[in-house]
Amino acid sequence: MIKFLEPTDFSEATSLLDQYAEEAKVIAGGTSVVMMLQQKLIAPSVLISLGRVSNFDFIRHEKDGLHIGALTKLRDLELSEVVKKFCPALAHTFSVVANIRVRNQATIGGNLSAADYAADPPAMLTALDARAQVQGPNEKREIPLSEFFLGFYTTALEPNEILTEVIIPALPSSARAAYHKYTSISAEGRPCVAVGAFADFDPDGKCLDLRIAVGAAVETPQRLMEAEAMAHGHALTDELIAAIAEQYAQALDPLTDVRGSAWYRREMIRVFVKRALQEVRDDR
Amino acid sequence: MIGESVPMLDSVARVTGAVDYMINLRLPNMLFGKIVRSQAPHAKLLKVDHTNALQVPGVVAILTGEDLGANAFYGVAVKDQGVVAVDRVRYVGEPIAAIAAESLSAAEEAALLIDIEYDELTAVFDSQAAIQAGAPALHEKSPNNIFKHAKLRHGDLDAAFAAADEIFEDTFTSPVAQQASLEPHVSAAQWDGEHLTLWTASQAPFMVRKTLSEILGIAPEAVRVIVPPLGGGYGGKGHIRIEPLVAAMARKTKGRPVKFVLSRAEEFVTVTKHAASITLKTGVKRDGTFTARQVTIYWNGGAYADASPMLVPAGMVRSVGPYRIPAVSVDSYGIYTNLPPAGAYRGAMSSQTTWAYESQMDIIAHKMGWDPLEFRMKNLFVSGEHFATGEELHDVHFVECLEASAKGLGASPSPLTPPPGGEGKRGRGYGVMMKSTVATSKSQARLKLMVDGTVMLYTSTVEMGQGGHTTMAQITAETLGVPLSAIKVIGPDTAITPFDSTTSASRSTSMMGNAVIAACGSMKKKLFELGAPLLETPPDQLRTENGFIVADETSISFGDILKRNNLNELDEAGEYSTSLGLDPETGQGVATPHWHQGAGAAEVEVDPETGRITILRYSAAAFAGRVVNPRMAQLQNDGNVIFGLGPTLMEEILFDGGQPTNPNLADYAIPSIRDIPNELISICIESDKGEMHGIGEMTLPSVAPAIANAIEDAIGVRIKDLPITAEKILQALREKAEK
Repeated sequence: MIKFLEPTDFSEATSLLDQYAEEAKVIAGGTSVVMMLQQKLIAPSVLISLGRVSNFDFIRHEKDGLHIGALTKLRDLELSEVVKKFCPALAHTFSVVANIRVRNQATIGGNLSAADYAADPPAMLTALDARAQVQGPNEKREIPLSEFFLGFYTTALEPNEILTEVIIPALPSSARAAYHKYTSISAEGRPCVAVGAFADFDPDGKCLDLRIAVGAAVETPQRLMEAEAMAHGHALTDELIAAIAEQYAQALDPLTDVRGSAWYRREMIRVFVKRALQEVRDDR
Repeated sequence: MIGESVPMLDSVARVTGAVDYMINLRLPNMLFGKIVRSQAPHAKLLKVDHTNALQVPGVVAILTGEDLGANAFYGVAVKDQGVVAVDRVRYVGEPIAAIAAESLSAAEEAALLIDIEYDELTAVFDSQAAIQAGAPALHEKSPNNIFKHAKLRHGDLDAAFAAADEIFEDTFTSPVAQQASLEPHVSAAQWDGEHLTLWTASQAPFMVRKTLSEILGIAPEAVRVIVPPLGGGYGGKGHIRIEPLVAAMARKTKGRPVKFVLSRAEEFVTVTKHAASITLKTGVKRDGTFTARQVTIYWNGGAYADASPMLVPAGMVRSVGPYRIPAVSVDSYGIYTNLPPAGAYRGAMSSQTTWAYESQMDIIAHKMGWDPLEFRMKNLFVSGEHFATGEELHDVHFVECLEASAKGLGASPSPLTPPPGGEGKRGRGYGVMMKSTVATSKSQARLKLMVDGTVMLYTSTVEMGQGGHTTMAQITAETLGVPLSAIKVIGPDTAITPFDSTTSASRSTSMMGNAVIAACGSMKKKLFELGAPLLETPPDQLRTENGFIVADETSISFGDILKRNNLNELDEAGEYSTSLGLDPETGQGVATPHWHQGAGAAEVEVDPETGRITILRYSAAAFAGRVVNPRMAQLQNDGNVIFGLGPTLMEEILFDGGQPTNPNLADYAIPSIRDIPNELISICIESDKGEMHGIGEMTLPSVAPAIANAIEDAIGVRIKDLPITAEKILQALREKAEK
């Protein structure tokens, strides 16, 4: 029998986690944990539920950026006027996760902590330079998402830490973002390739800043600084976009699974980096 | 009443979750069952030790091969499958032991403690590899692994090929797939002395009863099989599945009931769609007619023959196609491999065969420079012609089906926002299907009229979401002349409801429908006899209307007829059966009481950068004979197309050394609401003869070839291996560009 614990705040949750250590698994919306339990991929003796933790399902636009409580449901993020106003592409990202039944249940903290490579939010949030605020039994700290995902189902969270908040830095008004989810099988499936793109432009349309994160086709969301730097100071012409997309296609090492072979994913990285960049260029 | 779109009788209950599915069944004192399954694809069982498992608190009994007698083997024709494995396992997932415990967690804990030792044998997974010399034989009685070879021989094949101007030879494959009904397999059993009651989610309660009586050595009448409404069947519950194991387990629990619910992962090793490799050699003349067709089919039956000895000959008949072909030869092989047993899958065997013959139609048309639609129209059977079995075809409407489905696409291309790349290529494709139903089967129905005018309809037709009970109620209401609200449908329960062969092969509306009509006829005759003196009118001048017997100027309610005759109730029965078949050596004879006829037309758009296709429109036409309920008929047509998109575009169980690697609905994709074509057009063709046909499969098998044909029309590539994934299309596009 699995013991089911229901702490009412994060301090209690982290001390329970500290106490049970490797035996315990934290569960929020359960869309990931329950599936892993059913498939016997994990076998914890204790489940620490965050279902009774209050005040962490918030969405706040503050000076320094967008703050999202870890227990916020993906469905709420998808529908939030605050998120839509802050970054329409981010709201779109949440709207394409799985299906409405999953989104009504899944939380952003759970989505990121699961570190499932075939997920949508990680690529977009990585492109937006988001940070994870995490809490341990004694201290809080921040981890940039670029350092958060370490591998398949593995994060930089210590065994006794819980993700409590996601912070997305303020976006310049001249910046634009795009998220492209490519599903190769069912339209409701997980992504074969996920591309999050962010770009800022000067008044002449020259690119001041560019960040592209590719997920789902690789173990963790990947950015290529060199390829991004190719855009600095230049307009995003079709030729430049093609060159950047080619860099991503060549440099990344895609994986093979039911949603596509490494060969196919390389081809799709090229296509969807291109399409995402075209969108940030054209979508005013 | 027939021809009215009344809502399904249990539609509200289905939507609100109030239906008493098997999964909700709780019996007093009930135990929970768990199956221990083989981890090896092919092995001798050296040891199955349950000593430690029995010590787990809450464990009541454990079933292993040692408990089984010599008769504990089953299968439709070849009894090769044990209730649990004895001495040897032949696929990953094969039941080796079962546990009954006070709680599911106790059963699961005990399952881990069963000590099994395997001596692994060489395994073979591919049907064509399994028939090569030197391949490991799965069963002693079939040294070459072929458990069934069905043959059809019609006309002088050599002469006919010699007369051809062009000969085409193509091979088309379908992978292992799963029926994936929302409700898993679930059964519960309870013994009372030598009497067994079994509750099960099955499409064939009397087949279950017969098999259990044989395995358990008790009379069929000592077995009571009760079937609550199903959450989908699709053929996956059409034959014997976990019922023998559940019944055998319950025999060891001293009268306590035990219930088994399979997990989704277990579903994928319980029954599958046959993987098939189909080679068609077809001769045509320059005038656009056929001379000959030779078909070779390798069906991957998995580790046990199961229902395949019946399905492999059905697949033979269903592989020829609805075209005039003077000489035909078919060899249809059922082959053992170390994969889970294959069974019926909605559109059984036709899903694989139609994929082959309708794909080849377009290959031929393109090569010969013919219009694919005209080529089909010119060669489709019409009434009065003879099929390759020698039988005369009646009530044939292939041309109407194809015309209607093609017309349903409309003259203008579908309006749609451009795809992301902006360069989508569009095409249209067509497919026609000809499928037999069960040649020999029987349906019985019983009606009981009560004093208050209620009519109880006792039927063993299984309600599995298709609306079978609503259909039978409508037929009763129409034929008997009573309001629909007066009818209560009871069953299936083999202790109460009369015999029916099976709810499958789209046979119920026709077969059970006719049994219900016969029962209504008897009931009316009886009521006329009893009512005639009361109305002072001869029986032949009476009619029924709205629950009354009506004469010219007088009438009396059914209930009052009973009261005036001092009767509490009136019981009448009806039966309908067919007894047909083919010669086993030549395949000549009569394959089916009537042919299932359907057609489909697809308009697709292909993104040439990704290979991903969007189905803009799909138009499906079925020959329905006479439509009982237009709304439900449309839902069947739509459901067929949506279901058909699965094997067409995405469904395939992947195996690694016989172990399924995607046995869950996150990795094994089935069509979602967002995969449905932007426009779904449903057409039912009716006949003036008014014979009712089933429509549960008619428009399904055409989906795959219609889409493949539309893809070739759009971008000039031909996919011959299902499923048609975006990756395969892109690969084909690249290969074409390199040429």
